[in-house]
Amino acid sequence: MTAPAAAYDKALDLITRVRGVRGAMLVSAEDGIVVAEQLMEGIKGPAVSALAASLATRLRRAMEAAGVGASLFWHLQAEHGALLVVPTPGGTLVVAVAEPDVNVGLVRLELLRAAEVVG
Amino acid sequence: MTTRAVETWTLEPLVKFVKEAGARLVLVMTSAGQVLAQHGFSRAVDVMSAAALGAAIMASTDEMARQLRQPPFAALNHQGERHGIFLAGLATGRGRLVALVVYDLDVSSLGLVQLFFEQLAAELQAASPKDSVPKQVLAADFERQLSDSLNTLFGR
Amino acid sequence: MPDEIKTLSSQLAQDPDSLLFLRLGELLRQKGQLDAAHRVALTGLERHPHLPDAHDLYARILADKRDYERAFDEWDMALRIAPDHVGALKGLAFLYFKVGDVQQAAAHLEAAQRVAPDDPGVAQALAMARGGGPGGGSAEAGAGGSAAAEPEPIAPAAQPLEEARVFAGLEGAQEGLLLLDASGRVLGGALKDPSGRDVTDAVAAYLAGVSQEAARTVKLLGLGRWTGLAAEGSLGHVHLAPPTGEALLLVVRDRAVPMGRLAIIAQRAALAARRWLEGGAHA
Repeated sequence: MTAPAAAYDKALDLITRVRGVRGAMLVSAEDGIVVAEQLMEGIKGPAVSALAASLATRLRRAMEAAGVGASLFWHLQAEHGALLVVPTPGGTLVVAVAEPDVNVGLVRLELLRAAEVVG
Repeated sequence: MTTRAVETWTLEPLVKFVKEAGARLVLVMTSAGQVLAQHGFSRAVDVMSAAALGAAIMASTDEMARQLRQPPFAALNHQGERHGIFLAGLATGRGRLVALVVYDLDVSSLGLVQLFFEQLAAELQAASPKDSVPKQVLAADFERQLSDSLNTLFGR
Repeated sequence: MPDEIKTLSSQLAQDPDSLLFLRLGELLRQKGQLDAAHRVALTGLERHPHLPDAHDLYARILADKRDYERAFDEWDMALRIAPDHVGALKGLAFLYFKVGDVQQAAAHLEAAQRVAPDDPGVAQALAMARGGGPGGGSAEAGAGGSAAAEPEPIAPAAQPLEEARVFAGLEGAQEGLLLLDASGRVLGGALKDPSGRDVTDAVAAYLAGVSQEAARTVKLLGLGRWTGLAAEGSLGHVHLAPPTGEALLLVVRDRAVPMGRLAIIAQRAALAARRWLEGGAHA
């Protein structure tokens, strides 16, 4: 069963409340399109969604080849920021765009909670 | 796979788009189906039919939008099991053009195609000759022009 | 010195529980008799597992043997027992400096300086760490002062490693570490899946795509250079990092290894890889 849009907003809201998170999105993993978003100004939602989905696909293949199973959470670290992603079983990516020094453990927790809501 | 252009200003933006979006086949054409550039096609007959069909689909949706009293649809996407087809209009100094993009779902996605299509549209707009008026293609010249275009598009 | 070694050996034989092994192990290490030093330190450590100096000695010997991963663990252990242990702080600073993490190196040296403000080795190492990254100085300054490793230039070209030894001494070098060039060709290491099957080539084939996509993503989102990609899988964890702009390093471990520890393992492997790529690869 699909969660109502209000539930999506609430889930994203919990992610964006974490200090250092600049935006959160739900992305269709298959086509890289934005499903829902809460982004600070200046963050390009369509670019984040398309690129996160593409990276998730490539990473999934590499992880399957390595025999470490399906991806449950990933964290792309960069000099000026980070992308943190939890894929859901239903084919959605829960994505957070964050500052480089964000509390990764806390964001991961909120992403996993949001993933449960989204399904 | 080669990228070729009848109108050279389309070439660089198209090459870049193909690389970034991971597109398999691309046509850039006028609304009437006259092809300005192509990537990935190996047979002239495929270019001709794809251009005709793409232009026809755009014409149909434009008409539907008109009947609904809406502005023309920006883009259409058909997603199959392994491939997606993306069809969208873009404004240039050469008039309104249409891009037809076929992408493999293994390699690309609608999100990537849309993302880099915006860039393609902006770059074509910037690169296009500003004051050129599309030439009227006369029936007598049609066959020869088509033949010339196809020769260029396939490097003959 | 040989006389002192003889004397200490004899005294230690008479009183195996004494702390003389610390002096003996250090003397052997300084003489380059690393295997003998290793045996002495390990025996002492077995008898005094909670002695930070024993861990510090053992770490220095391991560092001399270029087993940086275990050296890290030993210095880390020394600090857990004695958070102000200057030798361990300097040792960890040395390892961080070698990895290129100058910030961490400086932080450890600053902590060491707070404990031992008059230690000239710490001041010198701190000046070096603040003055520039690895490649510009000697490991000696950071590695533990008087008891540290022999002066060892960090410039990798000075001590080229053989290709087969790119990850020598690192945990999982032949089953959970992989170094690739920009086009996905294997430069070192190997990967096995949980059933023991060699999956090196299959994974290598996919990794170039992952790296390119990671680089493109951070570029288009204006996030600067990508520094790592950590992923939790249902059966294991992976950490991907670019040790240089042209190479890609993958570390794979089972789920029992926490992600944070995996990052440290990756950091050490990146150090080995960088040394090899920047110098040893030409050997």
